[in-house]
Amino acid sequence: MTAVAETGTPPEQPDDGRVGISIDGRELRVPKGTLVLDAATEAGIHIPIYCAHPKMDPVAVCRMCLVNIEKFPKPQPACATVAGDGMVVRTDLPEVTKLREGMLEFLLLNHPLDCPVCDRGGECDLQDFTFRYGPGISRFPITEKVHFKKALPLSEHIELDQERCILCWRCVRYYDEITGEKEIVLQQRGVDTLVATFDDRQLESKFQGNLPEVCPVGALTHRKYRFVSRPWDLQRTASVCPECSYGCNINVDSRDFEVRRFASRDNPLVDDMWLCDRGRYSFDRWNSSERVRRPVVRSDDESRDVSVAEAITQAARRLREIADEYGAASIGVLGSSTSTNEELFLLERIARQVIGTPHVDHQLEPFEELSAAEHELGIAEIEDCDALVVLGAEPEEQAPVLTLRLYKAERKKGAQVIRMSGDVAVAEAVAAASGSTRIGLIADETNRAHAAEVAAALGAVGSVRRLTITRGINGRGAKDLGLLPNVGPAYASVSERGKNGRQILEGLAAGEMRGLLMLGPNPALEAAGDLLERAVRKAACVVAFDTRPGVVSRYATVLFPGHAVFEKTGSVTNVEGRVQRIRAGLPPASATPVETRVLTRLAGELGAVGWGSGDPLAVNRLLRDEFPAYGRAGNGGRAVFTAEAVA
Amino acid sequence: MAEYKLLTKDFGAVGLQTLKGYERVGGYQGLRDAFAKFTPEALVAEVKTSNIRGRGGAGFPTGMKWSFLPKDVFPRYLCCNADESEPGCFKDRYLIDESPHQLIEGLLIASYALQVNISFIYIRGEYHDQRLLLERAVEEARAAGYIGRNILGSGFDCDVIVHGGAGAYICGEETALIESLEGLRGQPRLKPPFPAVKGLYGQPTVVNNVETLCNMPHIVQRGGAWFKALGTEKSAGTRVFCCSGHIKRPGNYEMQLGTPIRELLEEECGGIWQGRSLKAFQPGGGSMQVLLPQHLDLPLDMNAVQEAGSSLGAGAMIFMDETTCLVDVSMRLVDFYRHESCGKCVPCREGTYFESELMHRLEAGLATRAELASLADICSNMDGRCFCPLGDTATWFVMSAYKAFGDEFEAHCGAGRCPVRAQATALVA
Repeated sequence: MTAVAETGTPPEQPDDGRVGISIDGRELRVPKGTLVLDAATEAGIHIPIYCAHPKMDPVAVCRMCLVNIEKFPKPQPACATVAGDGMVVRTDLPEVTKLREGMLEFLLLNHPLDCPVCDRGGECDLQDFTFRYGPGISRFPITEKVHFKKALPLSEHIELDQERCILCWRCVRYYDEITGEKEIVLQQRGVDTLVATFDDRQLESKFQGNLPEVCPVGALTHRKYRFVSRPWDLQRTASVCPECSYGCNINVDSRDFEVRRFASRDNPLVDDMWLCDRGRYSFDRWNSSERVRRPVVRSDDESRDVSVAEAITQAARRLREIADEYGAASIGVLGSSTSTNEELFLLERIARQVIGTPHVDHQLEPFEELSAAEHELGIAEIEDCDALVVLGAEPEEQAPVLTLRLYKAERKKGAQVIRMSGDVAVAEAVAAASGSTRIGLIADETNRAHAAEVAAALGAVGSVRRLTITRGINGRGAKDLGLLPNVGPAYASVSERGKNGRQILEGLAAGEMRGLLMLGPNPALEAAGDLLERAVRKAACVVAFDTRPGVVSRYATVLFPGHAVFEKTGSVTNVEGRVQRIRAGLPPASATPVETRVLTRLAGELGAVGWGSGDPLAVNRLLRDEFPAYGRAGNGGRAVFTAEAVA
Repeated sequence: MAEYKLLTKDFGAVGLQTLKGYERVGGYQGLRDAFAKFTPEALVAEVKTSNIRGRGGAGFPTGMKWSFLPKDVFPRYLCCNADESEPGCFKDRYLIDESPHQLIEGLLIASYALQVNISFIYIRGEYHDQRLLLERAVEEARAAGYIGRNILGSGFDCDVIVHGGAGAYICGEETALIESLEGLRGQPRLKPPFPAVKGLYGQPTVVNNVETLCNMPHIVQRGGAWFKALGTEKSAGTRVFCCSGHIKRPGNYEMQLGTPIRELLEEECGGIWQGRSLKAFQPGGGSMQVLLPQHLDLPLDMNAVQEAGSSLGAGAMIFMDETTCLVDVSMRLVDFYRHESCGKCVPCREGTYFESELMHRLEAGLATRAELASLADICSNMDGRCFCPLGDTATWFVMSAYKAFGDEFEAHCGAGRCPVRAQATALVA
């Protein structure tokens, strides 16, 4: 305590937009408009909450966060009371302890207490707060509780247990405030109140998977996680959802070396803690046991498992032979949008600097006049726009969580979301956005050319920033790092334009090109149909990394087992250029070193000097030195190339 | 001092429910006077001068409530709260039944004072006949030019919409009424923002009780100062009291505020029936605390009754004779709250259920003393913790009865039956 506080005459504070508040004797200054609950959290004081949720408006129905505030006749809900200057809040009084006990006793009256068979046991707020703040016993003399339906399927993903529900309204508000779909409603009243869907309809939202996460108890659960694991048996790894380019942060929860669920990991700048069902429920895809497990070397008549060292030597020898005989330009190099930045960085250097071929790509079709400007608008900056023009349904199909950000901009910031057909006439888009000053233009990368025209025209209405939806967890990184035939690293121009992905494969199939170095798996190649098979069969030499058995693994001359996303460490760049870490959460399917190490040693065999060990973190440092934009982005920041592209 | 008839002066006149009948007794003169003599601001000031307090239960000064509306924010709305569902209250129904046009006139005067162009009458779902009556009256008034554009050539436009509830006690709470009026679940809203700032459809809104609005024509015609002189210093005017229970003549009686309760009981209601004596009475309606025979000399004054630990609330008076079991009454009232709890907040939803189950055990003579002790604790965990007053008031009668009739409550513990009823049966036989 300072002398000033003792005399009771605080000095005049300049108006800095903050208010002074005291919580349990701790003095702090918080911005005006801060809720007492948030101020307490900042002061390190825990206030139990059920209905309050950091992403939703307060409703103050659970009454768990009631605290004593001086000069207020009754206890006030911390979740809905705005901190005022000079407010004195107490959470450590006997009356607060008593009311918390009382509230928990009420909550447990009709709760089935089936924790031993509840999926939420171990990570349930009702369980935790009862242990921490609750009474040890119930005084309720009636043993029969009010019964509702249990294990009620609401959809293929979600199951509802109406008895466990404590009616905090979070699921109802989630639909009201976050998705705007209103699929869950409250029915009946009083002690008979229950959460249900209207007319027992099935949920249709693309974002149902967030319900079990907003639910503070075990009322809403994942059907795919039912009776699967206890939370303390799960190993949690912070990573990025691999399902699209949006880059939602996730926790990969695994048990017994298998992914059991994806849980959201709040990044307000990207996902805002919401995941889409496509991403969330894709986790079991990564548990497949069909994997490439050993390096293989093939010659015309034989195929044999070899050591990694031999595979690297063979790969280097064969690539060198091709280059010597047919020229370096007869070798094509294909990266993939599923590879990490470190892998792509090494691959691009091997292609252009070590082998010396211009034929580098990571997809099939060419991207003409690609510039960093089409990735200027950040995800969180969507909320700063007053008009958002979305071209076609593809952007939201490809990156579903974008829909929630658009809804937030609409609901909270009053932005106008204008959804138009992908090929909308330029004049029509201009008319729709007229009157706006800050325009966000969101388009799919397949619609780049038209989006550029629309953007140019919208420039007459107001300032325009573009967001282009890329493909794959690291499609954006592949472009930044120059895995393109017409654009070099950091969107630099190239002296000689190379062949794009399709042309490389056609060249190989026609025998005009001879060698191929590729990182897999590459979902973009699926669109090539049988061209891929013809190309790899005809090529004299295919050095490939792949995770699963398939066309490439069947015909590759030298095959390295690849590491799946959750088996390796590295960074990936999302659609807005945010560089985020992925971490190894599962043991690798093969004993082969990770791709960065193999690529570094391959480069060494091909004559490169001083590339280091190939450790992913070491490669990351090299990459950051080479790309100042990535250096500035660090881990979690955005790599911005616009200024550099202009310069 | 007998009944003082202000609102009920003409009740019983032939055809008062029709516009013609109402005009015959001088109806709508108040509205004409309002247009002729007052600007809207002056009218608000006049109502402030009258010192009239809300008749719906809380007794908040009406003029002050009106002055909370932010200036220059339009549209504004006025809602007449006719969702009278308090146990023991039936005065609004009486006022509507006898003279629907008096309410409409009051509503129009208030709308003019508040510059409201659309006013609502939210009427309880069970008041089906009254709703039809009001709807007819509104149509009549519209046809006669009292409702609509440029009313009586004043340049003031106002439409009146009668909206029926679906039978929920909670919709008498002003924010729940607004939610219900918007077509949502009838549940109270988080305050602030208060309805005066952000109410119906997010606009400034005033919610006034039927009886409050029925007073408006009289305040306008006779002046605020005259009205203020009526009643007591803190409780001006008259109130219609709904008297029920063990009395000879149950019914509605309009009394000047300040009259002793004893006078209401003995002169108007005819005293306790069957020659029995008064055991207890509940003023205000089901929510309010019990009072004892020694409180009969209290004046019908909001502050005086409040100081005695209860409230005049919505104007009910339930008298109970000596055969009444206060545990039984408490149980029935608690059952009402359990049934009417909207389920929004935990202490009310679960607490009324807990209370009700306990009270049933107690009344049946099955509860233990420990359970009775927990009843008091449960109530203290509810009172002041709930989202809206419903949950708080669900404990008031029980706790006051327990305090005043502790012996009776304790006698129930482990008795295996209701001791009071057993005694009463013997008495009657």
